[in-house]
Amino acid sequence: MMIRVEGINKIFNEGTPQAFEALKSIDLEVAKGETMILSGVSGSGKSTLLSLIAALDKPSSGKIVVEGELISKLPDLHASAYRAKSIGFIFQHFNLLESLSVEENVIAPLINSGFDIVSIKQMAAKSMQSAAISHKASQQVKELSGGEKQRCAIARALVHEPELIICDEPTANLDRENSLKFIEILQSLHQRGKTIIVATHDPLFETLPFVSKVVHMEDGSIV
Amino acid sequence: MPSRILMNNAFLHFLTLLLFKQKGKHIGAVLISVIIIFLLSSVLFISSSLQNTLLGTLENQSDFTLSRVQAGKAINTPSDWLDKVLEINGISKVAPRVYGRYFFTPREKSFLVVGVDLFDEQSSKELQSLVKGLDLKSFLSTDSMLVGEGVKAFLSEHYYKDSFSFKTPQGSFKKVKIQQTLPSQTNLIANDMIIMSIDLAREVFGLGEDEVTDITFNVPNDAEWDNIIGKLHLLFYDVRVVEKREIRKAYENLYNYKGGLFLILYLVAMVTFMLILYQRYSMVYSTERKEIGILRAVGWSIKDILKLKFYETAVVVLVSFVLGVALAYLYVFIWDAPLLSQIFLGGANLPNQVEFVPVLEFGLLGSIFLFYAIPFLAAVLIPAWKIAVTPPKEAML
Repeated sequence: MMIRVEGINKIFNEGTPQAFEALKSIDLEVAKGETMILSGVSGSGKSTLLSLIAALDKPSSGKIVVEGELISKLPDLHASAYRAKSIGFIFQHFNLLESLSVEENVIAPLINSGFDIVSIKQMAAKSMQSAAISHKASQQVKELSGGEKQRCAIARALVHEPELIICDEPTANLDRENSLKFIEILQSLHQRGKTIIVATHDPLFETLPFVSKVVHMEDGSIV
Repeated sequence: MPSRILMNNAFLHFLTLLLFKQKGKHIGAVLISVIIIFLLSSVLFISSSLQNTLLGTLENQSDFTLSRVQAGKAINTPSDWLDKVLEINGISKVAPRVYGRYFFTPREKSFLVVGVDLFDEQSSKELQSLVKGLDLKSFLSTDSMLVGEGVKAFLSEHYYKDSFSFKTPQGSFKKVKIQQTLPSQTNLIANDMIIMSIDLAREVFGLGEDEVTDITFNVPNDAEWDNIIGKLHLLFYDVRVVEKREIRKAYENLYNYKGGLFLILYLVAMVTFMLILYQRYSMVYSTERKEIGILRAVGWSIKDILKLKFYETAVVVLVSFVLGVALAYLYVFIWDAPLLSQIFLGGANLPNQVEFVPVLEFGLLGSIFLFYAIPFLAAVLIPAWKIAVTPPKEAML
């Protein structure tokens, strides 16, 4: 099993009057090469669960095991290394460095990888090609359209060849045409054997032939 | 080969990229830093240069000056005291001096008249080194004088182009030819100075032939200084002996005091600037915060973030420091510090155009650097660290 989530709880502002239980006893399993859709309305806990799987945050209790490694309690250095090696995260708001160009954004995850800049640029070129954004390599991110920004974010997520691709509401800021292009890229990633988790409430995803599992979330629980 | 390795270093590449692409973010900090460093370095350069020149001049002067006092005020000293002083063991190079201020009453300005015994070997040697090419014989054959640039300008303004008539205490006039102007490098000490023969100076001040204003002498053995002063007080009762080290201390205190005032201003400016920086980098919704969050999300560790911020800030700090110090050097030693020099020399009797002799104290520059670089780094790195330790998801919001 690629990912095993066991009894995960996440409480924000724990121990204060503003405490909020975002995830309640989540159990989940995702097999290697599987494409899973997490559906549910905004605030149902999808993004929180994704950030825990990507080690961007820590659960209040429970455990998450990815490829045999317990990532829910990793110290910063190991969590960062795990993200740098195994995770490709595509955010709803793209989260790109606006002052840099497409290529410069794409190379960012590899800067501390130990590769020299020539090799890194070769890897970035390959990744930009997969995401169909090579023609905009030297363009400033702030000058791109929403769809182009999304493809830049995809190239960045793929540059280090991660095994697990996590997408958080990837089509929320895209029109239908760009959403379909994104799905095409996702399909090619699936064909390359990547494990993919997509949190979305976009109905386009639910009927996709390569989706192996749709998990519905509501009020912090899987229903 | 090493430069090629550096060029290929991904971290350096990314650091350079961020510095160039986000130069707008750093320009404000660099500008303010350059101004602060420039002002502080200028003040310290001026103060060091002045101290250095004055103390250098002092080095060539006698160890002690003895003058007669009455009711706490200096009065004329009998010249036969010279022999009595010379009789004390341990004393050497005893010389008479006629020295005092001549007041130009209509404009309430004064000149420092120094009478030099040109037959005294040391005095004539010092004068020769001060005014290259001076013909001592012709200088002594007429009633003539050497004047500082300030005196020359002032007298010219009042139509005394070639000579000036001193009014003696007896009411008569003594016409003295202006032989030569002292070189501008001596302006700091000699701007309002007039050098003439000791006999001529006696005439100008109305001193008798057997009188001088004071007597100078050396005591080569430092350990004997206090003994000698004691002996002089026993011998004459009514004398004041001024040590060279007292004058040295007075000079140091004067410029340290002025420099100290600027140091306080510098500290106030630095604290304010650091608070602004700290606040800027701590801003909850700053682009800085988002940038750190994004880098963390794509796999950068807290250590990587701090390393990036450290080098980024170090470049800003170094560039500002080098620019600030270089500008200060040009301003003080090439352009002679217009405006600021008047703060140091503003109390001067006559308008003075000083040429500052370059003095670089690396200890001092190092201190400025540390006092500037450490707070600057802290003002950037502490907020950066605070952001880096928050979950990336929160930082990206």
